[in-house]
Amino acid sequence: MNTEAALERATAIVAAWGPAADHPEPARVDVAVARDDLLAAVGALRTASWGYLSAITGLDLPSRGELEVLYHFCEGAAIVTLRVRLPKGDAAIPSICGVIPSASFFERELGEMFGVTVVGTPDAARLFLPDDWPEGVYPLRKDFTPGGAAGGGEPHA
Amino acid sequence: MPERFVIPIGPQHPALKEPGHFEFTVDGETVTGASARLGYAHRGIEKATEARTWVQDLYLLERICGICSHVHATAYALGVERLAGVTAPPRAQAIRVLVGEMERVHSHLLWLGVAAHEAGFETLFMYSWRDRETIMDSLEALTGNRVNYSANLLGGVKFDVDTGQADAIRRGIDFLESRTRIYLDLVTTDEVFLRRTRGIGVMTAAQAETLGVVGPTARASGVARDIRVDAAYAAYPDFPVGITLEQTGDLAARFVVRVKELFESYRLIRTVLDGLPAGDLVAKMPRHVPEGETISRVEAPRGELFYFIRSGGRSRPDRVKVRTPTLCNMASVLTLTIGHQLADVPMILVGVDPCFSCNDRTVVIRDAATGQRWTWARLRQHGIEAYR
Repeated sequence: MNTEAALERATAIVAAWGPAADHPEPARVDVAVARDDLLAAVGALRTASWGYLSAITGLDLPSRGELEVLYHFCEGAAIVTLRVRLPKGDAAIPSICGVIPSASFFERELGEMFGVTVVGTPDAARLFLPDDWPEGVYPLRKDFTPGGAAGGGEPHA
Repeated sequence: MPERFVIPIGPQHPALKEPGHFEFTVDGETVTGASARLGYAHRGIEKATEARTWVQDLYLLERICGICSHVHATAYALGVERLAGVTAPPRAQAIRVLVGEMERVHSHLLWLGVAAHEAGFETLFMYSWRDRETIMDSLEALTGNRVNYSANLLGGVKFDVDTGQADAIRRGIDFLESRTRIYLDLVTTDEVFLRRTRGIGVMTAAQAETLGVVGPTARASGVARDIRVDAAYAAYPDFPVGITLEQTGDLAARFVVRVKELFESYRLIRTVLDGLPAGDLVAKMPRHVPEGETISRVEAPRGELFYFIRSGGRSRPDRVKVRTPTLCNMASVLTLTIGHQLADVPMILVGVDPCFSCNDRTVVIRDAATGQRWTWARLRQHGIEAYR
């Protein structure tokens, strides 16, 4: 399928919740979506059978005091990313497992690595972190250094 | 209320010699529920990339997985090159494909042995692993290593292929092709073996879509998804791949897809060796990668491998996100085992060709005598002393 056409179709599907689509690379479109609109946008892609959820990426943006969650959908070579910004003081996001059940592992990883509360996710237990990992320590946040909780030194010392 | 009986499997050797923990709820011998706990091989590699330079990360990421190391390095190199506005020369891209397909051959043969072992078919296990040594020898002769070939550089590849090496690889492939015909015959006709695979762990195409599976696991359910075809990268646009599909979606189909993919890899390896473009091996890379984000997708032996790379314009990346195919496929194991006999669980798990090291990518080391956590410096010192 033509990648550009696939991207245009996806942009149209989610336009109601993310009108400002960015085209950072030929095969990619990024759409900023408000947290409250996430489920509607994901549901629209699913209903239209546009692609599949390939990955969920967490980002820590310390200069903005925000976290960002990226939902990457792929159809052939086309990639559409729904981007949701969350204030660090209120890092909660609705689970998309009701629409895409296979997102469960992705959401568990996001929760433990970035301290994002995924509201309604079917299983919020740790997936990758050890059982005795301290509560409230999120290793992929920028303020975490491996010298802290995990008891290590500088990794590149 | 009926009492629930939960059988823990793992974390040591849940089916193959890698760590993962599963809990299966059973009613008699029948599985009624399943849950997973991973992370026993989690090493914090994504975090570690943020403390290392762009070049150091290439070597780090290649060590996510000992089976499919090359494909990790390729995904990363292609992504970083795109951010830097650099394209590796055609000859380098072709050598990336060559090593990638050789890696797929070794990985699929490794899997065939493990899967045969789970079925109790030790002869097939031994034969497939014996034959696999052929491609391991070729990889070693070409790259100097049996694993972690380190073929990639940012901007190209590290070594060339001369005619002598090419001929040796061709001879190895000829032998493997004749052997693989026997394996294909075996996994499709051996009645005892088929009793363990036919109609077991069936996943329909619709289920495969919902569960988000990738790679051979998806293709065995008739889902045409292969990044080498859908979003051809490196030299795949010049050396197109024929997709291998099966429709029955059971374990038998997963065997057939992987064995047939071996033939496609043999064909690709020959085509690349015959049509290797002339020219340089490396393009010059800037030391600092400009600000930006990119996504790099490649087809690992287990399916789509996804890299998200973000640069802040510094000497090291802001973020490298790795989503391995096993994470996508693992969820299907939990669903597919339900309703099956407990004895089928190891086969169904192995059927997705899980790679726990890929999946897990913190190891915390405790001193056995004192119970104290080791620091990084302590571990490093231990390594230096142990190998002095």
